[in-house]
Amino acid sequence: MPRLPVDRTIPPPPGPLRPFRFPPFLRTRLPNGLTVLATRMSGVPLVSMELVVPTAGGQHDPNGREGLATLTAGLIDEGTVRRDSMEIAASVERLGGFLTTGADWDVGYLAAGLLAGNRAQGLELLAEILASPTFPEAEVERLRRQRLAEILRRGHDPSALADERLNRVIYAGTVYAGSLIGTEGSVPVIDRESVLDFYRRHYLLNGSALIAVGDLDPEDLLREAEAAFEAVAETKAPTPPPIRPTPLGGIEVHIVDRPGSAQTELRLGHRGVERMHPDYVPLLVLNMILGGKFTSRINMNLRERNRYTYGATSRFVGRLGPGPFLVGAAVETESAGAAAREVLFELRRIRQELVEPGELEEARSYMQGVFPYTVQTIGDLAKRLEALAVYSLPDDYFDTYLRRLDEVRREDVLAVAQRHLDPERIAVVAVGPAEELEPQFAAVGEIKVWSPEPRAQLT
Amino acid sequence: MPDINLAFERHTLPNGLRVVLHRDATLPLVTVNLWYHVGSKNERPGRTGFAHLFEHMLFQGSEHIPTHEHFRQVQMVGGVANGSTWYDRTNYYETLPAHHLDLGLWLESDRMGFLLPAITQENLETQRGVVMNERRQRVENQPYGRAGERLHELLYPGDHPYHWPVIGYMEDIAAATLEEVRAFFRTYYTPNNAVLTVAGDIVPEAALERVQAWFGDIPAGPPVPPVSAPLPPLGERRVVIEDAVRLPRSYFGFRVPAYGHRMWYAADLLAAVLSGGKSSPLYRDLVYDRQIAQDVGVHVSPYEEVATCMGVVTARPGVEVEELEEAFLSHLARAAAAPPHPEDLERARNRVLTELYSGLQKLDTRADLFSQFTTFFDDPGGVAEEADRYQQVTTEDLMELAQTCWTAEQRVAVTVVPRKSS
Repeated sequence: MPRLPVDRTIPPPPGPLRPFRFPPFLRTRLPNGLTVLATRMSGVPLVSMELVVPTAGGQHDPNGREGLATLTAGLIDEGTVRRDSMEIAASVERLGGFLTTGADWDVGYLAAGLLAGNRAQGLELLAEILASPTFPEAEVERLRRQRLAEILRRGHDPSALADERLNRVIYAGTVYAGSLIGTEGSVPVIDRESVLDFYRRHYLLNGSALIAVGDLDPEDLLREAEAAFEAVAETKAPTPPPIRPTPLGGIEVHIVDRPGSAQTELRLGHRGVERMHPDYVPLLVLNMILGGKFTSRINMNLRERNRYTYGATSRFVGRLGPGPFLVGAAVETESAGAAAREVLFELRRIRQELVEPGELEEARSYMQGVFPYTVQTIGDLAKRLEALAVYSLPDDYFDTYLRRLDEVRREDVLAVAQRHLDPERIAVVAVGPAEELEPQFAAVGEIKVWSPEPRAQLT
Repeated sequence: MPDINLAFERHTLPNGLRVVLHRDATLPLVTVNLWYHVGSKNERPGRTGFAHLFEHMLFQGSEHIPTHEHFRQVQMVGGVANGSTWYDRTNYYETLPAHHLDLGLWLESDRMGFLLPAITQENLETQRGVVMNERRQRVENQPYGRAGERLHELLYPGDHPYHWPVIGYMEDIAAATLEEVRAFFRTYYTPNNAVLTVAGDIVPEAALERVQAWFGDIPAGPPVPPVSAPLPPLGERRVVIEDAVRLPRSYFGFRVPAYGHRMWYAADLLAAVLSGGKSSPLYRDLVYDRQIAQDVGVHVSPYEEVATCMGVVTARPGVEVEELEEAFLSHLARAAAAPPHPEDLERARNRVLTELYSGLQKLDTRADLFSQFTTFFDDPGGVAEEADRYQQVTTEDLMELAQTCWTAEQRVAVTVVPRKSS
């Protein structure tokens, strides 16, 4: 075989670029008020159909009834006028499919995944569940007990404890301070009546979206959806209360005491921005440089330079309301204070100095280049279409997004850092042995120590 | 499998590197997936965690690629890179925009052929620290985190290579030396102990030419030392461990025939019969009807020497562990005594099929499967036959599996109970 020349000393030049465009999809609002977003993806003989209800998310949880949205979503498929809970589950699972219902802060959802040939049964079932759930008393009781056990279990999960404490601190007085799954106090007072009431007021066809992706013909799907979902007289959905948390007065340190922990779960965070905020795209670029990828500043600092952690990341969580900006890492306890100071250092630095041209270029080309990788599966594509529906984004959003990245300059990154990062009014949460942690944070900010259970403040 | 593109061609370079090429131009992506047939089973007691620590060292650069440049080069063009270590193998991959195929081949061939100059004490110390934190994060600071490794310690004797955890024990991670890193590289990271799959928007002929250009000159290494896996019969064993948890949880372990064996597929299918979905007998009985369990599952791992079947069941508050375990085990006993209900079998067969299809959607998963079947069975065509292997399992196979493997004498159990507060 002839020796072929390669030059190992420099990165090899790329071949010719192959173009990528977001796949075409159908988006139509039916006369019954339901919006359908559908696209064909035929690599494997599967379909995914998801009904997304943007008026039924956790942001509608009433005060004192935290967890109502997720409990209602969890109960909606536990019985209809035609079938009981097990019959519903078995009808899908016998076909190799799955049915899952739930709620996040923004939406309630019912999703079915099936072999492509069973699409009709799936659609029929989703329509039946949405239109005629019965919420049997026994199922309400069963799910409440299961939920309470889950809350107990999470009370010992250091990562969940850290997230929960952070939200309680930075969103005090707003619905985001609560727990989506509810608390020991709220779940017992949620009864069948409150579930039924939530369902009636929030699960509306009008404004909901059916996302269908897979080995299907979008036009066929559209006809089937029109037939399956009957229009009913509906009232307007209630408007959720505005989420306007008061910024902290300074750097607040909250230690959740977990004696004997092998490590410390560390979080730093404050409120971020809504998903629809005009700064969202430049903020994604900022975050990519700060803590959004392996070679980001925070990961390189905490993991590779200081060996404090297996990995550290930051993110802006986009929601209908202002989701959090947060930095998270599991760090060795003896370095937890130092790790928090390094994070603060990186937050201050990126607000004071322009990022390096190379850093911006890397972040941009990573975000543009990696996009096709993130739309490989039926689930990937469904998630993208869901974002269009829930956040009212235009059809060309993802193509525009790739171009908009080109327009982000270093000055824009600095400007959005100054507007949306606030390292002087930030919550620092550390879940670990308080005795070892307290001295390390004395110089960071005012310290409060919490016991994980009961959730009382110790000092 | 119907309608699914699993076309491939295979080649072997003169240095022994086996190459699988799979063309799928659906998206402008290419993935470079490299399996080395070495994992924690090639370690020895007192030197555990080495294969995994070594995987970390492989991201610290090589002769022509400075420290931290591997990830930077990949991310700069919009690629993703990672690696993972398991009992039987270690894999590495880069998935890149298709026009950057050469970049992936450059990075992987440089660390296969030119790693040694980049192995420094400083890089070793950094990765030792990172891995120790990884162990704390994944094992020691996780509720129930130690149970899985305790189960393997019981299920396999001390000199069996599945006895110790892939991530290793803390004191062994602390003890690894630079010279051991070098020796490990020379012994196992050779073209003749590796499989390279290139998949995506490629022209196979041109891709093969590039593979030859980058990998062709790397010299073959000596044959890899065999692994000894003595497996004396088990007697029932059990441990109870205390942990910072509120809900007790029981883990059961059984040995089942190795991945690839007909009875392995029987075990995996039977696991789906018993616990795959809300309408499965275990979930329905323990979680739904009697409400004594918070969750329940049976899983079978695809190991190469012998496979582990693990059952996990978590108690509801106030439920005695004995009651929970008895209820769980009664379903295993029933599986040995009678064939499954036809509806449960139909559900499990369809579920396995759906999961197989679903797993084939991602290019990097598909490439990983080609590498896996070539590494374990020297047969990339096995990817397309996987569905049939499940369909060929009979109800007699399922009963035989339950009768021979799920006996009390061959069972180990780890029960995690809440730590008594002082």
